[in-house]
Order: sequence, then C-alpha cells, then structure tokens
Amino acid sequence: MATEEESAVKEPLDLIRLSLDERIYVKLRSDRELRGKLHAYDQHLNMILGDVEEVVTTVEIDDETYEEIVRTTKRTVPFLFVRGDGVILVSPPLRTA
Amino acid sequence: MSTGGEKGSATTKTPADFLKSIRGRPVVVKLNSGVDYRGILACLDGYMNIAMEQTEEYVNGQLKNKYGDAFIRGNNVLYISTSKRTLADGA
Repeated sequence: MATEEESAVKEPLDLIRLSLDERIYVKLRSDRELRGKLHAYDQHLNMILGDVEEVVTTVEIDDETYEEIVRTTKRTVPFLFVRGDGVILVSPPLRTA
Repeated sequence: MSTGGEKGSATTKTPADFLKSIRGRPVVVKLNSGVDYRGILACLDGYMNIAMEQTEEYVNGQLKNKYGDAFIRGNNVLYISTSKRTLADGA
C-alpha cells in the first residue's frame, strides 16, 4: 500500500485527518463549543488544539418572568487537550465555493 | 425456505449491510441528545462514526447550524434514517 490517496475520504476519521493544521469547529457535551487549530488527534478523537476559543452556552430561567436567558461565555486558551469522549461533532473549516 | 417479502433491489440482510447501502444518500441522523442532523451520508465506520456533507443541524425542529462537512462521533448516535427530502425543505 505505498500509494495512498491522501485526499480520499474512505472512513469518517479521514475527514479529521484532512483537517490537521486547520482551524476546526468542535461541538462538545454540556453545550461547549471550541474553535481552534488541530495539531493532533487519535482514534478516540482525543485532540490537541491550539489558539482555542471556547464558547459555553448556559440557559437560565428568570425567577420572576420565567424567561429563558441564554448566556454565552467565551474564553481563549493557547493549548488544549480535549478528551475524545466529550466530542459530539467535528467540522472542518467551511470549504465553500 | 419461504422467505417472501424481499422488496426489490438491494437485499439488505444485516444492519451493517444497510449502512453500507445508504452511503451517498440523504439521511437524518438523530443523536441521543435529540438533535437531528440532515445531510448526505459520506461514509461511516464500525463505531458508527459518521461523515456527512451539506449537514444541517436541527434542534427542536429548528435549523440551528449548517456545516459543509461534519464528523459525528458514533457514541452519540441514536439512529440513522434515510430521507427522501433533498435539501431546504422543512421537517
């Protein structure tokens, strides 16, 4: 198997492999989202991300009006190890056009 | 030996055969969280990890997000369903 087509997507993890060194979007459990540069990953979807922006979305109920208040909290992290079992979805940068 | 009721073309026998047969088709993937993903099934593996194209994310029936490509980790998958719907239709 010397000639592997690098661009072929034959299994889902190929999508991740093709996103190495690109900025990706990661949706995590408990309403967390990450955007960062993918430095490394493994078959569990453990990932090393760089220059990460984490967005945490929380919904609170106003005590008096019972309105839902959606809050997003952002923070940036220079380097992040993400444990794979928290991952729901990974999306490469939009390759539109 | 009388196994009637084969519906026409693709004789799928096991769940894995079904999954193989629906690559390239429009599908709805529902996660345990209740979120729906609609798009074209690119491929999947034995963990039920899924790669989809032209993916639309529906939360409570409302379109929340679109992804050109999306990888869904298999452990979150509740079901995969084929859909006749092309794109941009409602539920």
